Amino acid sequence: MQVTFKVTRYDRATGEKPRVQSYALDLPEGATILDGMMRIREEQDPTLAFRAACLRGVCGECTMRVNKSGKLACVTRVASIAKNNEVTVEPIRYIPVIKDLVFDMEAFLWRKIKAVEPWLKPNGGASDREHVLREEELAEVRKAMSCYMCGLCDEGCTVIAVDGGFLGPAALTKAYRFVFDPRDHARVERLRHLSEPKGMWDCTHCFEANGHCPRGINPTDRIFDLRDESIRRGVKSGAANQQVARHYDSFVASVKKSGWLDEGRLAIESEGWTNVAGLLELLPTAVKALQRGKLPMPYLHRSRPGAEQIRRIIERAEGKPS
Amino acid sequence: MPELIADVLVVGGGAAGMRAAIEARKQGAEVVLLSKVHPLRSHTITAHAGINGAPAGGAWQAHALDTVRAGDWLNDQDAVEVLCQEAPRAIIELDHMGALFNRDGQGHLDRRRLGGQSAPLACYVNDMTGHYILHVLYEQILKSAAKCCDEWFVTALLVDSGACRGVIALELLTGKLHALGARAVVLATGGGVRAYEPSTGSLGTTGDGVALAYRADVPLMDMEQVQFHPLGLGRNGGLASEATLGEGAHLFNKEGQRFAQAVAPGMAELAPRDLLVRAALAELEAGRGVDGALLLDARHLGKDRVMTRLPQTREVVKAFTGKDLAADPVPVRPIAHRLMGGIHTDLNGATPLPGLYAAGSCASTGAHGATRLGGNTLAEAVVFGRRAGTAAAAYAKTVAAPRGSDALLKDEERRIALALSKGKGGESDVRLREELGRLMMEKAGISRDAAGLQEAVRGVAALQGRYAQAGPRGPGGAFDGGLVAFLELGYTLEVAWAIAAAALARAESRGAHWRRDHPERNDAEWLRHTLVVRGAEGPRVEFRPVTVRQWRPERRAY
Amino acid sequence: MKYAFYPGCVSRGGCPELYPAAVKVAERLGIELQELTDVGCTGAGVLSRDISDPINTRTFAKAERLGLPIMTICSTCQGVMSQCNARVQGDVEYLARLNREFLAQEGLEYKGTTEVKHLLWVLVEDFGLEKLKTLVARPLNGLRVSPFYGCYIRRPTDIMTKGFPGRKGYLEDVIKIVGADVQDFGGKTKCCGFPILTANEENSMAMVANHTGEAKEKGADCMVTPCPLCHLNLDGQQPRAEKMKGKQIGLPILHLPQLVGLSLGFSPEEMELKRHFVDTQKVRAKLQMLT
Repeated sequence: MQVTFKVTRYDRATGEKPRVQSYALDLPEGATILDGMMRIREEQDPTLAFRAACLRGVCGECTMRVNKSGKLACVTRVASIAKNNEVTVEPIRYIPVIKDLVFDMEAFLWRKIKAVEPWLKPNGGASDREHVLREEELAEVRKAMSCYMCGLCDEGCTVIAVDGGFLGPAALTKAYRFVFDPRDHARVERLRHLSEPKGMWDCTHCFEANGHCPRGINPTDRIFDLRDESIRRGVKSGAANQQVARHYDSFVASVKKSGWLDEGRLAIESEGWTNVAGLLELLPTAVKALQRGKLPMPYLHRSRPGAEQIRRIIERAEGKPS
Repeated sequence: MPELIADVLVVGGGAAGMRAAIEARKQGAEVVLLSKVHPLRSHTITAHAGINGAPAGGAWQAHALDTVRAGDWLNDQDAVEVLCQEAPRAIIELDHMGALFNRDGQGHLDRRRLGGQSAPLACYVNDMTGHYILHVLYEQILKSAAKCCDEWFVTALLVDSGACRGVIALELLTGKLHALGARAVVLATGGGVRAYEPSTGSLGTTGDGVALAYRADVPLMDMEQVQFHPLGLGRNGGLASEATLGEGAHLFNKEGQRFAQAVAPGMAELAPRDLLVRAALAELEAGRGVDGALLLDARHLGKDRVMTRLPQTREVVKAFTGKDLAADPVPVRPIAHRLMGGIHTDLNGATPLPGLYAAGSCASTGAHGATRLGGNTLAEAVVFGRRAGTAAAAYAKTVAAPRGSDALLKDEERRIALALSKGKGGESDVRLREELGRLMMEKAGISRDAAGLQEAVRGVAALQGRYAQAGPRGPGGAFDGGLVAFLELGYTLEVAWAIAAAALARAESRGAHWRRDHPERNDAEWLRHTLVVRGAEGPRVEFRPVTVRQWRPERRAY
Repeated sequence: MKYAFYPGCVSRGGCPELYPAAVKVAERLGIELQELTDVGCTGAGVLSRDISDPINTRTFAKAERLGLPIMTICSTCQGVMSQCNARVQGDVEYLARLNREFLAQEGLEYKGTTEVKHLLWVLVEDFGLEKLKTLVARPLNGLRVSPFYGCYIRRPTDIMTKGFPGRKGYLEDVIKIVGADVQDFGGKTKCCGFPILTANEENSMAMVANHTGEAKEKGADCMVTPCPLCHLNLDGQQPRAEKMKGKQIGLPILHLPQLVGLSLGFSPEEMELKRHFVDTQKVRAKLQMLT
């Protein structure tokens, strides 16, 4: 198969602008992107830098952006992805590049994994025998921990795209593995920690991560699970972003009262009645909204006919964490 | 002057290395874990099927007998005893660290039967056991605050005054060589199966530690014993996990016969791998294959079971063959998989070279004999990793900080510069590696004889000569993968030569070592290990008696 | 064609122009709407699913009793309801528990048969673009419109677009059918930033500025979105985003029914374009040239 690899080259040491270099290759049927990269390094350009390890798509090492989509190079067949006998190969996005396809995972993902204190904080149990656990308690934790840390969910994350400091779906999925591990005693402590700014409440739940995860782990759903658990445990926010908890409480109170959302009230209560500066910040928007006849008047909105039933459902749900 | 960086320097970030590092930390040692790939990319992640250990209340002796029988009585039974007695505790320890082993209906650890097991021995996490063990051990490494040097590649051991006192290592990020001093060094660099082509080895299973020890005149034991796996998917890295067979999948020939039933009526597809591989080869040679392959059939397990218990195998099979494990028969053929042999160590991972320890797949305690029982690889890694960590930490307390000059560092710098200078016009090391893989497969593969093995020995020697004149094509410096691959090939050549020499020496068939010209096992002459020692003209084969305790040699039948 | 209409909170709260626009368009197209008035907020991805799943299941049960599919005009309502519906349809025991614990007391039961469809899907899949084309009274020729899907009408894909690959292009299809030009841009399926307006305002504003800025730079006259929450951010917060990021954008954001309504011949006043934060003068001017 005749194919041209258009590879983005860069070297942090020189700092020169990335450039695209083309390599014409004749590859056997069934060749993978990694085969192509090896062939380039061996036969055409020994300076090309990339990483690879397991060769079978189970270790997460050889992530690259191939034709604008994050892939594991070792199990991506050239024939399945080439367009007009061409493939583009770039480093994944939002990650500092060291050289060509070698990027700085420490700066991108490893430091975030470390930030969630990724080790079991055991809740005891006799050390000479295994924990007795039901399969149902383990299945989801096991699924989450099947993550091989390829970084592709973070690469697809819409928040990381604007804020590299966001903990991101991969680290939150790692955290999930401990929060829901029945052998871990630090669930609430972990949820508090994850609730601080740049943590789980910074997630926009855009569901990009689900689509980018090659393992079907559905990181976005894990984040929802963390949030739901956090709410059950009364955590709702960190110490440094209490507006998140106020926002949640106001939302619930509003729906409880009328069956639907009182947006005006939500805006005010999220800032907090005592937060004068925060409330003042709302003013220009409020004035504009008023001028356009679209200011939702706080506390004045009508209850829906079903409001009483809704209130009962919420109270019942709040009293019974699943 | 080498800089003292640790009491215990562990080379290799797989299960054995991390387990050693964790234990050495527990003993209070300052530990550096150095690995040529990030620990989570280690080859342990490909050990899918399970980790053996007798269940609570079960007898470890049954595990031991299965191990010895699979090993065709070449095992050192003291090592087998240690492995099988300590594995259950090691598994429980992993459970307490947070591993997510599958449970049985009562909530206890479930076990599955793998090849060669008379009863279920292998704890498992679906078909990703190695993944979970690797990730859990890495969690513990982070907790232990051991220092990690990720992506550092060792080029030589620092040996001074008859003891190992550190390593020379290439920092891939900068391309610089460093002399790293340590009171003790633990090699846990994994196997060297990439001497064969194709193999299931990760890119880095190039025998680095085995060759480093060998170059430091540490003997290598049982190197002739090379395990092939029946479920290869035709190219490097391609393997359907043995978990498929453990879950009840069958192997068929072209005529729809379960050919394994003929060679092992009692176990069929759960016979040890060497038997299965030879049976598969016989089928293929008799023309009963389908396009040169046999068929792995998991369809009768049902889609649900395949999806829940074999999800990763399904992914891998799909990627390599385009087949759906749940819906299609999958073409499989034997593929080079593991070395049973390696750096000769005692039961605590100590090598004859003071200060040098080894554990896991690069080491040979004698536990595996002539065929590694499926599920014993991970057990070995954590049991002997822990022991090596303990012993290395204890040793480190008894020795002073390394002294010495920069002479070796300068030598290594010169050696690499010289190689780089040869690379521009010389022969391509890539071709050499391909030739080596083919040579080993053809002449020192599943079926061997003296003439072929002599060709293998001569052939590897010739490749060594050509290698000495070759060099990597790249410029050196940061992340020069070609340079690393070139240095790795140097290690693999040492390993290959040792395999061929030991295989030529052992004039009998035992376990994985099958000699067409000596088809029988011969206990009278060959109940002994080969020890390959480096000589001026290449490897020299010596011998060492096998430690036999309670399991007297019997005929091996299943 | 009849639907149980679920307008959502924002279409009468923060974006009060949306509700009348949608109702007028439906009426003109002959889509009959029976509004669900006694149902609750979907939770918008904010409320814990412990709370929102029972509330939404109750909504589905109400529509099921009417024998009608639900039509939404908010991607967020749509997404949250679709996700919940998939959860309860895929887990018989869970649905039984919700019925037992939350619905039974008012004599309701959800059997799992309610379909939930956004107006955008209704237009393309049920009403038909060809039919829509015949009703276009004022083709919006020359108007360059960037589609902004946002998240919830597109993802998770196994729930929102599986079996309907065309859903990935419905906005473009509608833009073309009403005679306007599609101005594609990279951010069209990204998050608008609204969900983190409280948690991380800076990131939220960066998203607003990136998306509106990119479309504007590419030459869009306006943007159209099927989600009023996206509208709240992309329109309502655009002036602040401009200030925070120090750049002038001024890209009008239309609700989907407004775009369709204008092509059907409704005036900008009838579609209440003046209620937007970002001045829609340029859009109105282009329309005037058309009429």
